[in-house]
Amino acid sequence: MTTTPRLPEKTERRWLRAVAAVFWFLLPFLLVGAVWELTIRAGWVSSASLPAPSTILRKAWDLSVREGVLWEHLGRSFYRLSIGYALAMGSGLLFGSLLAMNRALREMFSPILSLLISVPTIAWVPVFLITMGLGDSTVIAAVFLGGFFAITYNTIRGIEMVEPSTIRAARTMGARGARLFVSVLLPASSVSVLTGLRLGIGYSWRALVGGEMLSAMVRWGIGKMIYQARFWNDVVAMFVGLLVIGLTGFLLDRLLIRQLERATIERWGMVSER
Amino acid sequence: MRGRRWILPILLVAGFLGLWELAAHLGWLNPSLMSSPSRIADALWKTHVRRLPERSILLTHIGVSLQRVFLAGMIGTGSGVLIGILMGTSRVVYRLFDPIVTLLMPIPGIAQAPLFIVWLGFGDPTIITVGAIASFFPIAFNTAAGVRSVDGQLVRAARLMGVSPAGCLPRVYLPSAAGHIMAGVKLGWARCWRTVIAVEFVAAASWGLGYMIWDASEYIRSGVVFGGILLLMLVYFAMERVVLEGVERLTVRRWGMIQS
Repeated sequence: MTTTPRLPEKTERRWLRAVAAVFWFLLPFLLVGAVWELTIRAGWVSSASLPAPSTILRKAWDLSVREGVLWEHLGRSFYRLSIGYALAMGSGLLFGSLLAMNRALREMFSPILSLLISVPTIAWVPVFLITMGLGDSTVIAAVFLGGFFAITYNTIRGIEMVEPSTIRAARTMGARGARLFVSVLLPASSVSVLTGLRLGIGYSWRALVGGEMLSAMVRWGIGKMIYQARFWNDVVAMFVGLLVIGLTGFLLDRLLIRQLERATIERWGMVSER
Repeated sequence: MRGRRWILPILLVAGFLGLWELAAHLGWLNPSLMSSPSRIADALWKTHVRRLPERSILLTHIGVSLQRVFLAGMIGTGSGVLIGILMGTSRVVYRLFDPIVTLLMPIPGIAQAPLFIVWLGFGDPTIITVGAIASFFPIAFNTAAGVRSVDGQLVRAARLMGVSPAGCLPRVYLPSAAGHIMAGVKLGWARCWRTVIAVEFVAAASWGLGYMIWDASEYIRSGVVFGGILLLMLVYFAMERVVLEGVERLTVRRWGMIQS
């Protein structure tokens, strides 16, 4: 929607559409929230086990604006996420392209890869706890593994699915080795690579939360916040934590990956714009 | 030809295991932290035989986990397909549920566990509930997408030939959406399995593969931890290859919805 020039009326309609989309997105939450609030106010459900939305929002306000603890938790989480995800991205793209370009390597590693993919990321955490200690490095390793497999797998698939005729054409025109890779294979496989990056950030985010919960020496982090709330049976804080996790996971996908998609595959016209 | 494909990977794994064993024997690795292939095999075998006349501890762990996965997956599949059909056929339901599904889907099961522990206590109720929620989302999402993508022409044609609106569901919508639904079911069960294992780390009271691994890691019995991961691979492999592929062969492939 960005490249073609548009008439002013249409721009206006686009604004209306955006507002309508936001409205439709928020409506279900408002409805559920209202019913939920009423149920508690009417006393049908005990507010000790199920806090009212107003209580949760007040707690969210307290944690974020008045005390600011939430930012400390989120900040530590983002620090781990960015390191782990950056590692996963770099090594996943590298390893994936190596396997895709080299038949012998692929035949050697791809069955092992598909076996390792089947292990839930979180199940590696006990192994890391034993071998890497109870602190940050375990969580970062979990984040890394979470993203690594998805990125590697989709990079391989993307490069494998490039039309052989495209490659032959590029070869005929003299592209070889690194040049063939950078100017032909990488752009041609970018849709699948981006799918991998998108899946990867989701897996990494989930692995982060799980890793933080299980690592005893980690004191800050959004996962830890929920885990600590258990010791005081603080259901309100748990709800705030879950809300933040859901919202952040959603925003990571929408803001980060969507922007990347817009800047690459949509601009290159490889997928229809949404 | 099929056999040859496996020679290289097997050699690679064997070489890796051999090196690992050697490194542990020569003392390059701390064997109590990094374990070694022989210690892993030994740990698994001991867990299996320890109380054998009555029961195998190892098999009980596996059995309990599978039972939880089965129950949770069944609940998640049933409710997911149901809500998915509603979302797919009614625009209003879709608009109401879609934002909720989008926002709740990225929340990992293990993060929901503390909440359900407060409500339902440790053990099966919490694990099965969280597992069911985990499998619900991909199944509902994919079913909705499948039903929504059904060609309107087909529905109109069926209506013209006298099929009632309700009759269109089993005759038009479900068969056309079967490929999508099956994809969702696969994703859902895989997620259910991962979630059940993860929630067993924090919410199981006594049994389950996740519990076994977590308990062993707290006492730094690395043989059992590594062995547990190996078992996770094997069980998942068996589940995917035998159960899911079997179901797929009996349904969507037989109906010719996807190529075998």
